[in-house]
Amino acid sequence: MIEPEEGVPTILNLSEISEREREEEEKVVDIVREFGAENLIYCMQCGSCAAVCPLARVGFEWYNKKLIKALLLGLKEELLDDPTPWACVACNRCTEVCPRRVSPFEVMFAVRRMMVEEFAIPTLAIEGLRALYEYGHAVYMTGREARKKVGLPEKPPSTDSDEKALKDLKTILRNTKLAELGLIPMND
Amino acid sequence: MIADVVKNESKNEGKLKYGLFLGCNIPFNRPDVEQAMRKIFPALGVEIDDLMGQSCCPTWGTMPSIDIVAWCAVAARNLCLGEEKGIDLMTACNSCYGSLNEARHKMLTNPDILKSVNDILSKIGKKYEGRAKCRHVAWVLYKDVGLERIKESIKYTLDDITIAVQPGCHFLWPSEVYPDKEEDPFNPKVLRELCEVLGAEAPYYSKLVDCCGMGALRSTDPEKSFTLVKEKLECIKEELDADLIVTTCSSCLIQLDDAQERLRKSGKLNFSIPVLHYVQLLALCMGFDPEQVAGISVTPRDEIIDKIINKR
Amino acid sequence: MSNDEKPKIGVYICHCGENIAGAVDVKAVAEFAKTLPDVVVVRDYLFMCSDPGQELIKQDIKEGLVNRVVVAACTPRTHEPIFRKACEDAGLNKYYFEMANIRDQCSWAHWHEKEKATEKAKVIIASAVAKARLLEPLEDRYIDLKKEVLVIGGGIAGIFASLDLANAGFKVHLVEKSPSIGGNMAKLDKTFPTNDCSACILTPLMVEVANHPNINLLTYSEVESITGSVGNFKVKVRKKQTYVDWNKCTGCGACLDVCPPKARVPDEFNEGMSLRGAIYIPFPQAVPKKAVVDMNACIKCGGRDFSGKEPRKSKSGKPILAPCERVCPTGAADRTPYRDPNGEIVELEVGAIIVATGYKVMDKSYFKEFSPHHPNVITAMQMERLISATGPSEGKLIKPSDIPKLLEAKKKGEKIEVEKPKTITFISCVGSRDNRYHTYCSRVCCMYMLKQAMILKEKYPDLDIYIFFIDVRTPGKEFDEYYMRCRQLGIKIIKGRAGGIQVLPGDKLLVKGYDAEVCRPVEVITDIAVLATAIEPDNTLRDLARTLGINVGAEGFLKERHTKLYPVDTMTEGIFIAGCAQGPKDIPDSVAQAKAAAASAMSLLEPGKMTVEPLISEVDKEKCTGCGVCVPLCPYGAISLVKHEDKLKSEINPALCKGCGVCTAACPSKAITLHGFTYEQVLAQIKTIAKWPEIQT
Ligand SMILES: Cc1cc2nc3c(=O)[nH]c(=O)nc-3n(C[C@H](O)[C@H](O)[C@H](O)COP(=O)(O)OP(=O)(O)OC[C@H]3O[C@@H](n4cnc5c(N)ncnc54)[C@H](O)[C@@H]3O)c2cc1C
Ligand code: SF4
Ligand code: SF4
Repeated sequence: MIEPEEGVPTILNLSEISEREREEEEKVVDIVREFGAENLIYCMQCGSCAAVCPLARVGFEWYNKKLIKALLLGLKEELLDDPTPWACVACNRCTEVCPRRVSPFEVMFAVRRMMVEEFAIPTLAIEGLRALYEYGHAVYMTGREARKKVGLPEKPPSTDSDEKALKDLKTILRNTKLAELGLIPMND
Repeated sequence: MIADVVKNESKNEGKLKYGLFLGCNIPFNRPDVEQAMRKIFPALGVEIDDLMGQSCCPTWGTMPSIDIVAWCAVAARNLCLGEEKGIDLMTACNSCYGSLNEARHKMLTNPDILKSVNDILSKIGKKYEGRAKCRHVAWVLYKDVGLERIKESIKYTLDDITIAVQPGCHFLWPSEVYPDKEEDPFNPKVLRELCEVLGAEAPYYSKLVDCCGMGALRSTDPEKSFTLVKEKLECIKEELDADLIVTTCSSCLIQLDDAQERLRKSGKLNFSIPVLHYVQLLALCMGFDPEQVAGISVTPRDEIIDKIINKR
Repeated sequence: MSNDEKPKIGVYICHCGENIAGAVDVKAVAEFAKTLPDVVVVRDYLFMCSDPGQELIKQDIKEGLVNRVVVAACTPRTHEPIFRKACEDAGLNKYYFEMANIRDQCSWAHWHEKEKATEKAKVIIASAVAKARLLEPLEDRYIDLKKEVLVIGGGIAGIFASLDLANAGFKVHLVEKSPSIGGNMAKLDKTFPTNDCSACILTPLMVEVANHPNINLLTYSEVESITGSVGNFKVKVRKKQTYVDWNKCTGCGACLDVCPPKARVPDEFNEGMSLRGAIYIPFPQAVPKKAVVDMNACIKCGGRDFSGKEPRKSKSGKPILAPCERVCPTGAADRTPYRDPNGEIVELEVGAIIVATGYKVMDKSYFKEFSPHHPNVITAMQMERLISATGPSEGKLIKPSDIPKLLEAKKKGEKIEVEKPKTITFISCVGSRDNRYHTYCSRVCCMYMLKQAMILKEKYPDLDIYIFFIDVRTPGKEFDEYYMRCRQLGIKIIKGRAGGIQVLPGDKLLVKGYDAEVCRPVEVITDIAVLATAIEPDNTLRDLARTLGINVGAEGFLKERHTKLYPVDTMTEGIFIAGCAQGPKDIPDSVAQAKAAAASAMSLLEPGKMTVEPLISEVDKEKCTGCGVCVPLCPYGAISLVKHEDKLKSEINPALCKGCGVCTAACPSKAITLHGFTYEQVLAQIKTIAKWPEIQT
């Protein structure tokens, strides 16, 4: 579903970015803070988080530290087609080492949440959401055979075998932002 | 705030009973891990509740990526299933452990979130009070069951076996949100001690706490994900020449097991080290049927199982 | 013990832990020392300066074994006093002591050549022993100390030094070259890290200085010359010609706006962003609040110079006066009396001097890459003026290019609206940490940029503010917290010093930088660009240092005696330094140094007397031919020719002689003896060294 935009240009005109924020009457920093990355303004770009981040290690461009700076500068559209936030393994190494209590993990996820609003969301994530809604399990394999092989009942004691519970879960999901966004069909 | 967390803790009142929280990977991908838990806990005097109606924790790529309240609401419904019975949850999946505890931490430190969550839960007649939490099976074994009891209950010991441990990220970080904490999360000891009590050696190695590259990283860019797991495996080989890798995380289990075999098949790795979840290893030592408790793997593990059971 | 008693020399060799013993074979040296003439005792010890080490020496003296002491150890600079004291305590004249430096000049220097180091140690000791055989007993002298202090520079450092001394009862002469005290701090708007208004905290102190009975305030004055030495400096101060009778001037300000346009020049106080007349009072809170006439600007209206001429008369018979004298209600600006352009010389005698002449900021014109010709490219000091309520725009944020328009309108009594700046960009380290200009860090720029940005952002939240930093340096108390507040306010921090400014059509400026954090070149279109230009020594500092005989470091600031241990002392005893004259620093540090310098001066002068070593020169009147060669050579003016039995003979004033030895070496008749370094002693040393290695056996 990600529509590749232009990406981050080779030269950043900060005044244009700031002008855009003015026009949209909302600062990117504030959006991200609203989405849970409240402490991002305390980041001093020390790089501890990047030093421990698996993403930085394997060469994603907009890993935690760099992403934070981009947001502080007001970048948003430019970042929408970047896969880095969606590769975050939520390991929270960064949170553990950040000397400013920024929780860069929260930043990565806040950016996901911001991207979702722009419908910049990977197909796989959509599928996960759909499965979560339909079955109550994001990772829903047809692992019945395997279960039988190890001597377990075909279905686990989850929403998979409890209709009332699945209905409850659906009710919950329909009362969240997921429904507002309309990313997936959400029938009863 | 954190004091509230403590105050709100469920009292298990002496008897060891937990709601077995399965998640997704374990019941559908690695049901042998589920079976291992169903075998070992009752044998160790821990009663298991099925927590009927449980769902995905929710995992990182789903609700946490959409909205914080939505994330917490799904997590809270799962936690409620335990809370209603006056018990804590227990999981063998680090992702579930992380997602549920992060969500709980958010709800307990931010009253606005908790209120919004309970507004949603009220639609299904539920309310989360913040009492029930999710424990990790490794911690239940380490703290509640205890090393002594484990030692007494095993049939086979792991003499001459060197284990590389992989506690996994969400066993450790962010230490602030977890109910049980390693004294030094950068040099974790719990899993090593749990392996050692079985008679194995479980030494430190330099990449012990490094990421295996599973999860979103693997689904976003498998190549990049494989570089991480390769680094880790090579370190294990070089520094420990381990006979076995033991993890407390179902995601790590899949990655280390599955990606390893792929790397080997594509000629990028020239060795093979079997991988087990700790509950599987314990089940094997306790004498449960290997087919049932450790029957699913990609990287071959017959040899090591043979070695454990038949001392060959 | 008398002089003619045969010398019995004790040689004490120190290992200095490993410092000496690590390179020098101490035992071999000791064996050698025993063979030297008149040496009766040789001992070595781990640390000669320790109590037990000193005890060895004392014991030998008390038991009568030795009557001359040679310690072969470290440097006399730090340790000679200790060993002299040990000799004295044991009852030996302390000038029967000689030190051989076998550490700094031997073991350390030749650490990797152990054999040679051992050889050299032997030579050094042999030469010290040769001198020790000829030592003479000397008696200490005392000089009286003048309990008055000269403070040069009336910035915050000079002000605090003066007040502390004056409050302690010392008479202070505060010499300030500009018409008012206050220094650079007077120009600042608010001050980090507490953002209190600079004038509000400074003005009361300035007034206190002016009113203090113990302070003789000499503004518009400069030090002309200094002679003498610690305790007794003789100072000539030139009070520059003010061309206004300060006894009459009340600082009413009537004359401030009357100079014709031709006589208006850039106003120093507003960093050139507005004009002042030739007659001016530097700023509203000036202390003393008195006008001066800047002769370089004055166009001598009505032919009115200051040569003592009566005014010409108009046809109606009225005298034609210059506008300033016309408006002056007290007659202070009266141009009729003759005024000496050289001003007046005041002579002072002081015991100590504190130099607190501060700094100036670098001019923007050096930095061509930043389009310095553009009025909206300003220095940070100009920004201070721009945001100050006493500044050219009365604290209203406008583009500097609009200031002339605004002032013009104000003069006409009109109100005009000028475009509000939307973006302000700061650039750090302009001229600092720059091998082309100054290698050092100016230490305050990071903080004042943050301060200015914070003040602006708090006042105008819509403003976009960018700060280009090489890195943010906030090492003071409460400084990093201050920085965090700035981040919270949404001030954008770019990691990387900008590389250039281009002028865009329509008065906008394009700042080109590189953000090392997003790894991209970045551009900002800005209304005002602020250059944090380096803090550098005042132009006159080198000359002043020469006048005072104190050192200036490579970077141009005054050099302290020791960076760590004597941070406000200089190599010249009795002269102390404080504030930015010593190096860039903020107000808290300037004040701390000022108080330290004041305390040092007090502890020096309070006893009223001071011991000085008798190591000074003396003239043998019999040998002196009165040629006078020595007189002009003496850097301390201690020598004069006086009548002695009808002949002119040179005479050395022991109170002034510092024992430098220039005269001793210059005297053609060898009539001058430098005690402690006599011809015989020095020659004996040289001979020993020159004859090496024959002398060894
Ligand atoms: C843009 C800017 C903003 C700043 N903001 C802050 C701030 O917010 N907080 C803070 O703590 N610090 C700030 N500082 C630093 C502060 O200005 C200095 O720490 C302080 O002014 C130093 O005081 P001083 O007395 O040593 O020197 P100065 O203030 O320079 O005073 C020296 C005085 O000596 C006089 N003088 C010079 N030569 C002679 C001579 N030969 N004979 C007689 N008199 C002489 C001068 O006329 C002057 O009056 C700022 C500096 C700059 C450049
Ligand atoms: S560790 Fe924290 S402060 Fe450092 S760069 Fe990362 S987020 Fe910023
Ligand atoms: S949580 Fe995400 S951003 Fe933080 S270290 Fe892990 S992968 Fe990197």
